[in-house]
Amino acid sequence: MNETCNVSRDIVVIAIETVDESLLAKESSIFNDRTLEIQELTVLIRNDITGLNMALSDLQTLQNMEIADGSYSHDKVGHYTAVCDDLKTRLMGATKKFQDVLTARSENMKAHENRKQLFSAKNAAVDNQNNAKAVPEPPPWSSSSTPSGSLQQQPLLPPVNSGAPSGSQLRRRSAIENAPSQQIEMSMLQQTVPRQENYSQNRAVALHSVESTITELSGIFTHLATMVTQQGELAIRIDDNMDESLVNVEGARSALLQHLTRISSNRWLMIKIFAVIILFLIVFLFFVA
Amino acid sequence: MKITALLVLKAAPETSDPVILANASDVSHFGYFQRSSVKEFVVFVGRTVASRTPPSQRQSVQHEEYKVHAYNRNGLCAVGFMDDHYPVRSAFSLLNQVIDEYQKSFGEAWRSAKEDSAQPWPYLAEALTKFQDPAEADKLLKIQRELDETKIILHKTIDSVLARGEKLDSLVEKSSDLSMASQMFYKQAKKTNSCCTIL
Repeated sequence: MNETCNVSRDIVVIAIETVDESLLAKESSIFNDRTLEIQELTVLIRNDITGLNMALSDLQTLQNMEIADGSYSHDKVGHYTAVCDDLKTRLMGATKKFQDVLTARSENMKAHENRKQLFSAKNAAVDNQNNAKAVPEPPPWSSSSTPSGSLQQQPLLPPVNSGAPSGSQLRRRSAIENAPSQQIEMSMLQQTVPRQENYSQNRAVALHSVESTITELSGIFTHLATMVTQQGELAIRIDDNMDESLVNVEGARSALLQHLTRISSNRWLMIKIFAVIILFLIVFLFFVA
Repeated sequence: MKITALLVLKAAPETSDPVILANASDVSHFGYFQRSSVKEFVVFVGRTVASRTPPSQRQSVQHEEYKVHAYNRNGLCAVGFMDDHYPVRSAFSLLNQVIDEYQKSFGEAWRSAKEDSAQPWPYLAEALTKFQDPAEADKLLKIQRELDETKIILHKTIDSVLARGEKLDSLVEKSSDLSMASQMFYKQAKKTNSCCTIL
């Protein structure tokens, strides 16, 4: 009971914090950058949400224990499930609002960047283009907040990681704009140094791919060689079979030839034998008739 | 994948404008009346980018629909105007080649240049036409392309070898059948032979 009270209270607290942060995000302009406060609030809210998630999962296990106990009353179980579901839906609503606030804030930052572009040198345009891509991404767990009834803890962890680097980028940018004359050189430095790295990295990547292609090719060649040797064996077998059949056919031919010669040579003998037999037959017939 | 212009400039110290040492541009795909303005634009943007590139640095700037790549080496700066599809790496290797070639052919004479030189440098013009295909400029790209073609050919070879294997298999079958048949034939012949000798 006490836990549920705490959980519901924390959800209300989160909602209030979210509202505060949204107000801050809306009213912050280029010159009145409240990035630090926004970052702190974001971290706070995220931690609270994770804590509440854990508390909710504890409640869920409690409920399951009660059910597995065996001697339960239907009303109690019904009450448990109703309370749990209610808390879950409330927490989900709060996280959705939080997520909306973050998207609104990133939209704001993008708008700030565009306006900064108008007033800054053109070389910084490329830098801002590259950086602006990282910021307006909505938090990655927007896809995971589905009304499935159980909030996962894992998708909240990646946003914590991505929030920190984007915060550092934002801080760097706000530091840059303070000195517009040095801005050009600093942004160019940051631009050319990563550009150099980019170039060499590009080359390294290309070399890697070439190397891997070559290794693949060598694999294909070895494959080819094995297949050809196997097929060579097949060819040898075919050759042996052919030789064997040749031998057989030769032998059979010679046998038949022998047969032929014997028959053709024996004809005189056979005529004589037949003549004797016919003689005998005639003698027999004579005897009977 | 097009190169619109190649420039070689002498990147003077920060205060003064860079001095153009060689210029080659291909403006054939613009209308006749736009050509001169495009050339002016190329010259101006090339100067600006070259003046902003610190020595021994490479830089790429996006300007409207062109990417301008600049490479500054000890005061000699090569700038190339390419479209978005041209791979960045080949662009920079091309600029590298251009600078090497320039230093080979003109030595150190360019250091004393104070005003834009009007003489065309034929190497740059032919480089412009030759390197419209990024594979020419970048050896890595060329090697990669050839390797891919070789891989395709090898795949086809392996397929045909497999087909050959199947045919050889069927040939083995048939030859073994043939040898069986010839054996039977031989036995039959011997049998008919042995039968009739008694008679």
